[in-house]
Amino acid sequence: MLTATALTLGVLAVLLAWPVPAALARASWPQRDPLVALVCWQAIGLAGGLSIIGALLAPWGPSLPQAWWHWVTRQPAQEAVRGDHWVAQTLAAVLALELLGVLLLSGVRTAATRRRHRALLELLVEPASAGGDTRLLDHPALVAFCIPGVRPLLVLSSGMVAELDGAQLDAVVAHERAHLAEHHHLLLLPFLAWRAALPVLPAADRAHDAVRDLVEMRADDVALASLAGPDPRRTLAAAIVAVAAGAGGQLPDGALAVTGGAVAVRVRRLLAPSRPLPPAARWAALASAVAVLLLPTLLLVLPAFG
Amino acid sequence: MNTLGELERSVLEHLWAVDGPVTATRLRDALAGRGLALTTVHTVLTRLEGKGFVAHDESRPRQFRALGSREDHVAELMHEVLGQAGDRQAALARFVGSVGTDEVAMLRELLSGPDQGAQPPR
Repeated sequence: MLTATALTLGVLAVLLAWPVPAALARASWPQRDPLVALVCWQAIGLAGGLSIIGALLAPWGPSLPQAWWHWVTRQPAQEAVRGDHWVAQTLAAVLALELLGVLLLSGVRTAATRRRHRALLELLVEPASAGGDTRLLDHPALVAFCIPGVRPLLVLSSGMVAELDGAQLDAVVAHERAHLAEHHHLLLLPFLAWRAALPVLPAADRAHDAVRDLVEMRADDVALASLAGPDPRRTLAAAIVAVAAGAGGQLPDGALAVTGGAVAVRVRRLLAPSRPLPPAARWAALASAVAVLLLPTLLLVLPAFG
Repeated sequence: MNTLGELERSVLEHLWAVDGPVTATRLRDALAGRGLALTTVHTVLTRLEGKGFVAHDESRPRQFRALGSREDHVAELMHEVLGQAGDRQAALARFVGSVGTDEVAMLRELLSGPDQGAQPPR
């Protein structure tokens, strides 16, 4: 019975570590509905971690709290403790600690970098008259970025302001504000941690890149909703191309495979939008995300079968 | 209105403007409009030193000078923003990441295509 739990969790862990993220990263529907896809990715990331740790813990008890208790009191649930139980337990503990530790560490580290950047910007640049959180950086390169956090900062370079027209600038600002409003940096954080914790897992890299690209698409979609003008899609696409061209040529051409042409995907879906996902497909995707997350949770927290 | 951030900015701007070592007393006099106490000027200078913007020499009284021009610091920041290091990219959300020259050409082509909306992606 315990073996059944462990086996189910093990199978789930393997599925979530390789074939599921690979399939989702390859699928074409996510760019039709980045928000739903982002929910799916979060479920995969969380459930993957839960099931790996759970599968290793399962020999120790029918549920996660009990397994921990048995381990702490050094009493196995049923059979005598074998060496492999200890190995599994240790692996589970190491993995759990590593995942949590790396998550914490990357959170702290990016927060520190952000703080430094913000302090630097506040010292170097006077606040723009328009909004308190927008700064104009005197630099010819075409760059716009935001620093998320409690006091977010939105930065435009003077090169950007000179090169883009008013509507395009509005589109850029709306895109960056969408990142801040929806806290996209938090959606990306678990995948940064996964990638740092398990650099050998190709799926971790792939998942991170997919989420990073989806977050950009989502910000484009949110920006479109707030833009006036006759053709906001073309305006935003033109802004993206102008900025890519302005900052372009920094990577050797061989690096294109790494950056994956994500910018081209953004431009294409703006210029030639595909139909939105039908509601049935949307709900099916959301339901699978919930199921993927519920399965290991139930297996671990509810006392297992009989 | 004399927040620490603002004070740091005006002290640093003054140091950039004079382009040479200055004593804290001279700084206070130069910023007389703000009505600063000498200790405040020292606090601000110490903070700026901690951030690597200002250095002092060992003469008496101490003379302070700016480390690097504003352009130097902006260039350094931009180098980090435009850089490829993973941690740096995680810290901020850039509107468009770095692309290769051949991708720029392809993007331009995409945009200059016929703008009737029903075109299939190429």
